[in-house]
Amino acid sequence: MKSFEAYNPIVLTAYFLSVTLVLMFCQNPIFLLLSFLGALLYVLIRNQGENGKLHLHYFLLFLLFAILNPLFSHNGKTVLFVINDTLITLEAVVYGLVSAGCVITVLYWFYSFTKIMTRDKLLYVFGKLSPKLSLVLSMGLRYVPLFADKTMRIKNAQKALGLYKEDNILDKCRGDLRVFSILLTWALETGIITSDSMRARGYGKGKRTHFSIYKFHSCDYTLLLLVAVMLVFTLLGIGIGNIGFVFYPGMAWEDVNIFGILSYIFYGALAGLPTLIETGDRMKWKYLISKI
Amino acid sequence: MIVIKNRSLRTVLKYLIPFFFIPIAAVFGTKLFTTRAYLFVSFFVAILTVVLFLSGFETREVGTRRMVIVSVMIALCIAGRFIPFFKPITAITILTAVYLGGESGFMVGSFAALLSNFYFGQGPWTPFQMLAWGLIGLFAGYFSSLLKKNHIFLLMFGVLSGVVYSFIMDVWTVLWYDGKFHLALYLSAIVSALPHILLYAASNFIFLWFMAKPFGEKLERIQVKYGI
Repeated sequence: MKSFEAYNPIVLTAYFLSVTLVLMFCQNPIFLLLSFLGALLYVLIRNQGENGKLHLHYFLLFLLFAILNPLFSHNGKTVLFVINDTLITLEAVVYGLVSAGCVITVLYWFYSFTKIMTRDKLLYVFGKLSPKLSLVLSMGLRYVPLFADKTMRIKNAQKALGLYKEDNILDKCRGDLRVFSILLTWALETGIITSDSMRARGYGKGKRTHFSIYKFHSCDYTLLLLVAVMLVFTLLGIGIGNIGFVFYPGMAWEDVNIFGILSYIFYGALAGLPTLIETGDRMKWKYLISKI
Repeated sequence: MIVIKNRSLRTVLKYLIPFFFIPIAAVFGTKLFTTRAYLFVSFFVAILTVVLFLSGFETREVGTRRMVIVSVMIALCIAGRFIPFFKPITAITILTAVYLGGESGFMVGSFAALLSNFYFGQGPWTPFQMLAWGLIGLFAGYFSSLLKKNHIFLLMFGVLSGVVYSFIMDVWTVLWYDGKFHLALYLSAIVSALPHILLYAASNFIFLWFMAKPFGEKLERIQVKYGI
């Protein structure tokens, strides 16, 4: 048992893709509830409840998206009220709430994803897909701070020469443009030198290897298998479990069967997985500390 | 420039994606996710199309030099995304495509989208952004001789691509929200995004206006000097 974010990046990517894509493509209120709880609990546990601004931001976005649908969609048989000859129906309001909830939940999942998957982890995942892509990306990543640093140097040199004025906006723009032009020349030349150096060291001959500190441990395989099993059961339920929820004209559930119920259980477990792993890890830590 | 090195894998992908994977995604999506089939299909077709373009590019080995120049351009795009309000990413993509060809343009556009989302947050919108920016680069490459000669066309292309980029991304926004294409929602999304669209178009115009000449000169010089 280890912290959720310490698992292998490939396993983490597989997890986040399966949990979000199922929700994105299957708009089911129960899936939404389970996924939202899982995502929110994980964000809260991981950040110790320090994200007031984030939650406020997402809540406002949720309200905006929820209001949009009843204004544009007038399907449904239960009319709540009429504004300026516009029918507001209960079904459209509920549909708007569910749609907005799905969008916000996916945003919560990807918030955690962005926090957990640091750049080196993402490069590792892309490197497994295509070594060349990974090389282009990692070189791009390295150039960004290098260019920022070089820009400062060029600017200082220009200032010292008396060529960079900040008196009015036009002069500043002209100066910035000159700095950019110098940077571009330098960047292209440096790129050529880099590539010559790479070729001289034998880039492109033989198989490419790349450095990574991530290995597949037994617990990574276990988690991957667990995610795969849960995903398969969830998809099975979506396929033959009659879990559909009809919004228009009147809201109704389809007759759910045993596969549908199983898919709810498995998707709930999938969504709760990070929270469970994280809590288990913390409990173990507390237990170990208490024994000292 | 070859992204997928294995020749047989590349050939297989080139034929399998349009004739097998995309139909499979369409059938699978419409059968399994009945209410949000459009979203499913468009999401996977976007990913598969990016892979298809990357595997379908010229098969000749153009060496490391061009690859490094592409990474330099990507880094310039991302460094530029930190400028408040005005984003040079489209302008740099277009200029790279005009001088180095459509495939380099596609790679700069799509990888700049992917890489800048390392900083600004990945999400389900990444494949669509990659496709939209990549296509801008690819089309700029197709019209390169015209765009290189005529400065007015270049500026018009920049403004147009800013508008088209927003239109493509709004399709995605509507599909994500509603699961199907709802025209009224799409129009309202465009209207609410109007300031952004104008900003995109204006920043493309400004950057192309100022950068086209120095950029072109430098890229041409590099091409002549090192034979890329």
